[in-house]
Amino acid sequence: MTKPAPNTSEKYDLGFANWVYENVNGGDKLGLCMQCGVCSGSCPIGEQMDHGPRKLFMMIRAGMKDEVLSSNTMWNCTSCYRCVVRCPRSVPVTYILQDLAAKSVELGYAKPNENSKFSNSFWWSAKTFGRTDERLVTAKYYFSFGVVEGVKRGLDNLKIAWGMIKTGRMHLTMPHQIKDKAGLKAILAKAAEIEERESKS
Amino acid sequence: MSDRKPGVYLCKGCGIGEAVDVGELEKLPASEFKIGTCKTHDALCSDEGVALIKADIDGGDINQAIIGACSHRVMTDKFSFNGTPVIRANLREQVAWSQPAGEEDTQMLAADQVRMAMAQASKTDAPSSSAVQELVQTVMIVGGGITGLTAALEAAKSGHKALLVERSDKLGGWANKWSKRMPHLPPYRGVEENHVGKLIAEVEAHGDITVMTDTMITKTSGAPGKFEVTMAHGGSDKIEMIGAIVVATGWRPYDASKLTHLGYGASPDIVTGVELEDMLGDGKLMRKSDGQKEAKYIAFIQCAGSRDPDHLPYCSSVCCGVSIKQSLQIKRENPDASCYVIFDELRTPGTAEEFYREAQEAGVIFMKGKVKSVGGDMSVVYEDDLLGQEVPLNGLDMIVLATGMVPNSTNPDTEAAEEEMNKYLISDINPAAGVSVAGYTGDTPDPVKRPEESIPPGGSILNLQYRQGPHIPILADGFSDSHYICFPYETRRTGIYTCGPVRRPMDMAESADDAAGAVLKAIQAIRSAGEGASVHPRTGDLSFPKIGHDICTKCRRCTVECPFGAIDEEEDGKPVINESRCRRCGTCMGACPVRTISFDNYSPSMVGDMIKAIDVPDEFEEKPRIIIFACENDAYPALDMAGINRQQWSAYVRVIPVRCLGSVTMLWVSTALESGFDGIMLMGCKSGDDYQCHFIKGSGIAKERMSKVGATLKSMALEEERVQMEEVSIADSHSVAKVINKFAATIGDMDPNPFKGF
Ligand code: SF4
Ligand code: SF4
Ligand code: SF4
Ligand code: SF4
Repeated sequence: MTKPAPNTSEKYDLGFANWVYENVNGGDKLGLCMQCGVCSGSCPIGEQMDHGPRKLFMMIRAGMKDEVLSSNTMWNCTSCYRCVVRCPRSVPVTYILQDLAAKSVELGYAKPNENSKFSNSFWWSAKTFGRTDERLVTAKYYFSFGVVEGVKRGLDNLKIAWGMIKTGRMHLTMPHQIKDKAGLKAILAKAAEIEERESKS
Repeated sequence: MSDRKPGVYLCKGCGIGEAVDVGELEKLPASEFKIGTCKTHDALCSDEGVALIKADIDGGDINQAIIGACSHRVMTDKFSFNGTPVIRANLREQVAWSQPAGEEDTQMLAADQVRMAMAQASKTDAPSSSAVQELVQTVMIVGGGITGLTAALEAAKSGHKALLVERSDKLGGWANKWSKRMPHLPPYRGVEENHVGKLIAEVEAHGDITVMTDTMITKTSGAPGKFEVTMAHGGSDKIEMIGAIVVATGWRPYDASKLTHLGYGASPDIVTGVELEDMLGDGKLMRKSDGQKEAKYIAFIQCAGSRDPDHLPYCSSVCCGVSIKQSLQIKRENPDASCYVIFDELRTPGTAEEFYREAQEAGVIFMKGKVKSVGGDMSVVYEDDLLGQEVPLNGLDMIVLATGMVPNSTNPDTEAAEEEMNKYLISDINPAAGVSVAGYTGDTPDPVKRPEESIPPGGSILNLQYRQGPHIPILADGFSDSHYICFPYETRRTGIYTCGPVRRPMDMAESADDAAGAVLKAIQAIRSAGEGASVHPRTGDLSFPKIGHDICTKCRRCTVECPFGAIDEEEDGKPVINESRCRRCGTCMGACPVRTISFDNYSPSMVGDMIKAIDVPDEFEEKPRIIIFACENDAYPALDMAGINRQQWSAYVRVIPVRCLGSVTMLWVSTALESGFDGIMLMGCKSGDDYQCHFIKGSGIAKERMSKVGATLKSMALEEERVQMEEVSIADSHSVAKVINKFAATIGDMDPNPFKGF
């Protein structure tokens, strides 16, 4: 039930915190965050984020909407769930980050970046074959940066690819597919329908 | 001085027999004090031991039992013989358990303990009570808010008549304004209905409660059990006899007009928490300025004026909970509202933490930081502690200042007392002021003035007709003086108990508890007055100070120094002790320059004789002697506990327990010096603003007196370091031995007192 976020232009937005509390998956638990920093300290990839989850959550309270939604924090989250397991206040940090990423796409904040490109390739494979094909996901991801960059990245990682093939972690034949692709399609269509309906209500 | 027939009983149990030669001690009473009866026993506290003493009493052989065994603080039930005076010599905790066994010095110490007890007995009589007083059972309660209403009900339910006096035209006080109350019942989560209406109905329906609204107290005189209270009501005076008084005058909100730095006055939408209560009644919260727009963005600013040295230096304790309550009320009405609570520290003690969590779950937004500015354009800028940067909040609909509590320790409706009376008020509210010690050098030190604003403006509540002025003494922050560290209900006016926010900031639930406690104390005061016995801390003590009026020079030192205002003066200056106001601390005794105040079992000459009874070896023996006057409330128990823990201290020390350091007269100091003691130490409770003294000002008065002792010592050509004062609390048992040993070392380094042997 995503309602439009208020005052898109303001650096500080008085209604943003309440909007996140109400609209972001897990946001209703965000009020319980006591800013202990255990999540940021536990995050294996925290150093790659421009703000750790703790700070991001405080920025939400401070109404720093633009900065929060254009942050790379949620894109770098690997969904390892360490923060969720450790948070003393049972804040579902990972869900919140995932949905913040979705909201940032929805509201046009997310610029194409490495993580969003990878997500796109991953999703393409999943919905097309019902499985992720390592070779095709990687190829699609590499070439999304252009042909030259695609070839370069491919060559750089050839050794790894070869090793994966030898150990059976990657194959060269037709992509593996699930049996009931029509069923998958129906599931995805239903999910899209629900999402559509909920966002209208 | 009736016929004293003392008997001495020495115990050999608990290690005493191993530590000292009790057989030697047994010879002392006869050889030095001509006391015929002296018996020993292996365990005096056993049935057989007790029977031994009892038989002598019953047989008429003795009428005073001197018991050399454990500390006087223990086995009091065993060694209690129907009012026969019992004098204890501490041979266990402070000899056997704190000195090496079998040593010559240990034996000398034990002998002196027995000598002191015998000297004490020679000046001890069974206290004769001050006779039964008039006994009025009515409890008067001043102030008809939550605290006063609860107090009236508690008193009535305990079988007493209650008179509830309220200055305004209706009961309920501030609580009438509150839309809801903070939770006080499990699970301490939800906002609760305001119960003040119910409480008022209950009070009004109770047959034993008389309510007087529109009534002001103009005069209070008398003492517990017989206060005479004059009240002005409807243009005429009414006089009531009252047994004890509970003061529940509550609080007033801090004057927000002083908070211009937080934007108060800059916009009608900047309001105080109290003002917001009026707007929260029912339905939506509308902006105050136009009454049209629903307030959606609301910022609460905590500690508005509180915890601010320029305004109220203390935490008002309730405003955090109130802002939580109010933001929850707003969120319940309108979930889309954004409530920001900007705090430096959010104080939610105990179960209030549950309430805080409820608000967090409800989406109230808590921000930790310091407010930098509040603008009439409805903006707040604060420095966020967790982001490390300034954060602006623009376009708010309302800004709520969580203002604090000012105690109604004065009556804002009346004028401050005239100069003469105020003099005592000012000295009384500042425990550090040298005030009350009329002084042994003859000058009265200037009272230290408090900044004007720490005394809430207004006149006295009860207008006490006491020598020490019309007020219940006030603490530095303006709250009524209560022994808030150890005995929170005790004021310094016996039989008058303060409770609720006039004593310290508190919420409704705490106030109700406080009221119940104060009523119990009031009832105790009435009963004790009837028995002629003391209330706290010498509960049940029948002794009281007696003045030798033939010797008294009417110098007024006793009337000025009594921490409880127990002594009034007659026209000609003759001091009159109101026994039921007296707490039996002996501060008056310590003050009297002609030492004509004494108790039946405690007097200047009694302790003087105890000092003289100690055997002081001459200078060639190289055994210095140090005397310690130890407060029996804290310092003496700390010493006992040190003994129980088998800590050892210098065997050259002799300890005399005193009721309060305030009772230590300079006579004892000079007697000790003249008797050849090398050092003197006063050990007692902390004095000052955060005093721990059980008699509140006693140790402060002693400190003040001792500050003058240097000159006396110099005039005797003695070193100033020979007399010291040490603050020891009951928790200091681990360090008290070190304190003694350090002093003993200092004294050991000095030449012996040249007065030895004179
Ligand atoms: S671990 Fe939980 S409570 Fe702590 S900062 Fe992270 S989200 Fe907040
Ligand atoms: S209760 Fe809270 S708002 Fe009130 S003074 Fe204390 S810390 Fe400040
Ligand atoms: S100084 Fe102490 S003992 Fe003396 S009258 Fe006052 S309360 Fe009583
Ligand atoms: S201090 Fe002593 S001399 Fe002075 S007024 Fe009191 S009783 Fe009399």
